[in-house]
Amino acid sequence: MIVEVKKLHKIYNNGTHALKGVSFSVQPGEFLVIIGLSGSGKSTLLRCINRLIEPTSGTVKFLGKDITHIKGEQLRRAKSQIGMVFQQFNLIRRRSVLTNVISGKLGAISTFDSILERFDKEIIDEAYRNLETVGITEKARIRADSLSGGQQQRVAIARSLMQNPKLLLADEPVASLDPATSNSVMHYFEKINKDLGTTVICNLHFLSLVRKYASRVIALKAGEIIYEGLPGEINETWFRTIYGEEAEEVEIR
Amino acid sequence: MIAEPEIEILPHKIIERNKQREDKFNFVKAVLLDIFFVFYSVVVLKRAIYYKFFLEMRELPFSWGDIGILFIISIVVGIFWASTKTSLSCKLFGIAKDNKTTKWTVEIFGWFLFNITFIAGWIVTKFSLVDLFSSEGIQGAQRIFGALFQPEMGIFDDALFAIIETIYIALLATLISIPPTLFLSFFTARNLMRDNKVSFAVYYVLRIILNFVRSIEPLIWAIIFSVWVGIGPFAGMIALFIHTIASNAKLYSEAIENIEQGPVEAISATGANKVQIVWYGVVPQIILPFLSFTIYRWDINVRMATVIGLVGGGGIGTMLIQYQGLARWHEVGLIILMIAFVVWVMDYISARIREAIY
Repeated sequence: MIVEVKKLHKIYNNGTHALKGVSFSVQPGEFLVIIGLSGSGKSTLLRCINRLIEPTSGTVKFLGKDITHIKGEQLRRAKSQIGMVFQQFNLIRRRSVLTNVISGKLGAISTFDSILERFDKEIIDEAYRNLETVGITEKARIRADSLSGGQQQRVAIARSLMQNPKLLLADEPVASLDPATSNSVMHYFEKINKDLGTTVICNLHFLSLVRKYASRVIALKAGEIIYEGLPGEINETWFRTIYGEEAEEVEIR
Repeated sequence: MIAEPEIEILPHKIIERNKQREDKFNFVKAVLLDIFFVFYSVVVLKRAIYYKFFLEMRELPFSWGDIGILFIISIVVGIFWASTKTSLSCKLFGIAKDNKTTKWTVEIFGWFLFNITFIAGWIVTKFSLVDLFSSEGIQGAQRIFGALFQPEMGIFDDALFAIIETIYIALLATLISIPPTLFLSFFTARNLMRDNKVSFAVYYVLRIILNFVRSIEPLIWAIIFSVWVGIGPFAGMIALFIHTIASNAKLYSEAIENIEQGPVEAISATGANKVQIVWYGVVPQIILPFLSFTIYRWDINVRMATVIGLVGGGGIGTMLIQYQGLARWHEVGLIILMIAFVVWVMDYISARIREAIY
């Protein structure tokens, strides 16, 4: 097991009960997709796994080790093995693409060197290699906010690759992109999953993408897991249970 | 509240308990505020409206005994008021028991408080149309305006040197305030300091100190420093320096509090440490607002430096107060025109620079 989540609860300070006892586990090499309506707890779940959000109760095991209560240096080491990609890309806008990619390696760079932005040649080479993986080496010296949405997301993927992650979390990585770009970005996740063997946990909205990329699917509804299985098994009935009676599937290709 | 993982928790209980705790806390706050409202009304009614207006007393009698009795009465009435449905504060803190009743009582008490405050203000400022439009007063106004619009050009070169001194006082105060302000702003930004108790305590103490320093006007700092380092431009510069740190640290830290959380989240997800998160996630987002605030502050400091001169802070203000003391209104007229011109130019320049950098 690479990730083992047990009875995870999250109650926000405003009283919202976002996760209601979620349990599941992930095998190495899986491409697990989490689906569900907005507000069903998908983002909270991902952020509880790498402790961007503190779970209220329950445990998260990463590589067999309970990481729910570790602190300081230990927590940073665990975080540095888990890459994350966000819906809004979350790049440092006014910095170059290269600096953004290198920022994924901060966990391994000393504080002093990182403030002076003095990076070893190996790290810079690694950054270029990762930019090559996502196919935008030529943009390395350009400011990150001058890129298009799809390109920014690819930079974000390259940044997470700098961590040599065992696990890659993706929080609705294509929700702010157009359909064509969505597919190409999802393609990079597939490539990382297949070629590098990185386990991927990804939140998605569109079922067509889920069927194409997922090796397994979990559906959340109001903070609880209501479906767990193969993407092909999601039929009309399940679809209506997950997304509500009114829902109708939108086809994007 | 982070419960132990082994213990099975009932989430509804946590929510309910939090709600009850919050309500209790709000009720205490409501009682205190109601006591204040009652005490305020009683004091204003008695001292401003009864003594000053109806009895037309010049010297108000004062004794701690009187105030104490009023205060005790207010405590009793306040506690009683807060536990009824008509409480103003319960409504304000959102714990009113009966919204229908409270709606009209809030209007009545709100109006009452507003009106006695307004009337008391009128009485305290001795508002008088007679003074404003008396023939003697109008003559004085004519004399001073006449002189101001016929400025004495003989002192132009002196005034020019003085106003340049003023601009430099403001510039230096702004420049040397930047490093300490930057340093302090990170420690007074709530979003960076709330993680653990020690840093939150540092945040809290620094905030209190800065609020205190800021609440003392530069004019008063100038008085303090003119005694400390002697009358002159240095005293004025130090006074502006101190006040600039305190007020810009607040603006800077608010800029830090308002940054986009996304990049911070992304950097902290890579396993970076606190310093690295700030350097990569926060700093790039705040450089422009910082620059803009600083330039604006220079502009403000030029205006303040003229005022500070009045109490011995050097520059054009000192010159102004000297001529005013001699009642030489033509010279005062020239100085005022020059100040107005410089302030206008600085205002324009700083606005254009701020526009350009965004």
